[in-house]
Amino acid sequence: MTKQIELSGVNKYYGAFHALKNIELSIEKGRFVALVGPSGCGKSTLLRSLAGLESISTGDLKIAGELMNNVPPRKRDIAMVFQSYALYPHMTVEQNLTYSLRIRGVPKAQARKAAEEVAATTGLSQLLGRYPRELSGGQRQRVAMSRAIIRDPKAFLFDEPLSNLDAALRVHMRKEIRTLHDRLGATSVYVTHDQIEAMTMADHVVVMKDGVIEQQGAPLELYDRPANRFVAGFIGSPAMNFVPAMVGEDGRSLAVDVGEKQTIVLDRQLQPGRKVTAGLRPEHLHFVEPGQGVFRLPVGIVESTGSATYITTSTAAEVTIVETSRRQVRTGDIIDVSIRPADVHVFDDQTGLRI
Amino acid sequence: MSDTNRNRLMLVIALVMAAIYLFPLYWMFITALKSGSEMFATPPSFWPSEPQWGTYAFVWESRGMGRYLWNSLIIAFGSVTLITVLGVGCAYVLARYRNVWVDIGLFLILMLQVLPASLMITPIFVGFSQLGMLNYPRLAVIIAIAAKSMPFFVVLVRATFMAVPQELEEAALVDGNSRVGAFFNIVLPLARNGILVSAILIFMQAFGEFVYSKSIIQAVELQPASVGLNSFMGPNTNEWNNIMAYATIYVTPILALFVLLQRRIVSGLTSGAIK
Repeated sequence: MTKQIELSGVNKYYGAFHALKNIELSIEKGRFVALVGPSGCGKSTLLRSLAGLESISTGDLKIAGELMNNVPPRKRDIAMVFQSYALYPHMTVEQNLTYSLRIRGVPKAQARKAAEEVAATTGLSQLLGRYPRELSGGQRQRVAMSRAIIRDPKAFLFDEPLSNLDAALRVHMRKEIRTLHDRLGATSVYVTHDQIEAMTMADHVVVMKDGVIEQQGAPLELYDRPANRFVAGFIGSPAMNFVPAMVGEDGRSLAVDVGEKQTIVLDRQLQPGRKVTAGLRPEHLHFVEPGQGVFRLPVGIVESTGSATYITTSTAAEVTIVETSRRQVRTGDIIDVSIRPADVHVFDDQTGLRI
Repeated sequence: MSDTNRNRLMLVIALVMAAIYLFPLYWMFITALKSGSEMFATPPSFWPSEPQWGTYAFVWESRGMGRYLWNSLIIAFGSVTLITVLGVGCAYVLARYRNVWVDIGLFLILMLQVLPASLMITPIFVGFSQLGMLNYPRLAVIIAIAAKSMPFFVVLVRATFMAVPQELEEAALVDGNSRVGAFFNIVLPLARNGILVSAILIFMQAFGEFVYSKSIIQAVELQPASVGLNSFMGPNTNEWNNIMAYATIYVTPILALFVLLQRRIVSGLTSGAIK
């Protein structure tokens, strides 16, 4: 596989503010990569650096093998879909689509034909003569997408393109973007703050925080083996429960500081007496018959969505449990809960790193 | 008081205020049509009994108004062109870059706006005379007006540029355009309304400009209509109907322009005219 985008040792400073810290990232041709993290983590800065809208302070940035550090955006041959769509308000849909072609001197008839072809695949054929202000949010989104795909760029950059759509449309467009990516065989970099979007769409997820890549890998790898507490808490919904714990004297059990009967068996050997944080995913905690579980927990809040019930305990360190069976649980009940040893994540108390 | 009554009262107050404000304009129009004796009649008449339409032709001919208005037009167009060409770039830079120097620049620009023309004219006059600019008095006035009105234009147009989302420009850059191309292709068309409105306001200001023209232009054949009107009036003037006819001829085209464009002007000034 050829590397389409390569970043090595990339740093970005805004005055004294260190926005990107030593970024190492390489993206193979045809991959769909999601950059995900809380706001201010540097994911948008990284994307804008790829586009050439921001310059990087140090390091190398290569697109299709060519060094791009000081190349202006127009010579990078990339396409970008903006959060606000950034459709040109004074141009019709067709003019918006063909703008990049017209700049490159493509003959009018040919540009028109290209616009019609793209519009046919994205369902915009009837709307070519309209202005952006006459379109709905979803239609504008499609125009922004079409404008990107019309000229077969080296890479697609998406800057939170779905955040202005309502929930149902967002789920729909998620699939559509991924389908489009596969059909075009494109290389895509997708910025989002929504870990579900990242998990469902991407082949490779990059989790960022404070300008640092915390972890990158396949979505399920991040879910199953989060490298640290931050990634563990960020990936997965509802978020992972963290409870203070101490490794037992045998090194194969955890004394967990929550509820009653608090010993979890581990599937690995740890240093006895070490203070750690246990990470328990809500969906890995299961109801069991009284006396069978590893936890006995008092129920605090019960929220039912129909497909699943979210139970929050009234313990000092709150624990959330997702239960898909329709078991009647009420506030104040004591429930017995178990977890498989393999599903217990353990993190260092000080560094937050996975143990 | 019910809402409708309240609204009616407000409307009446507004009408009364408008009437007071517009009365001098009305007085100008009817005085121009009155005969010499009717003009000084007591009590004054509020509608001319025998409209003297001939006054206009007489004033136009006797005062050589064609030449005055031509000079006013030259000065106004010259100033607007100069201000627009220089001011648009300035406003764009001030809209897109934010740092201490831009803030200082803006402050200085607003300071310039505060200084009155009658204060500025002495140093300008001395400077121009040293440079020999007084040999080209209309050009000198155009430059002086441009310097005076530029801040106003820059501040207005800057607001327009700020209303154009930066992402549009970035989209154009990624789409393959250069900075300059993006400015002319995307930003300028979107800011067009705001620029046009500001230019019209500048035009109307420059068309009526008096202080610089009066001080700098000595030759009668180069003076604009505002100076011509002033020289019409003296301590013993009694031909008010002619003066009012002059004023009417002078002001009506601008007034008409404003009335025609006022909707666009108001919306251009308030909304930024995007979307």
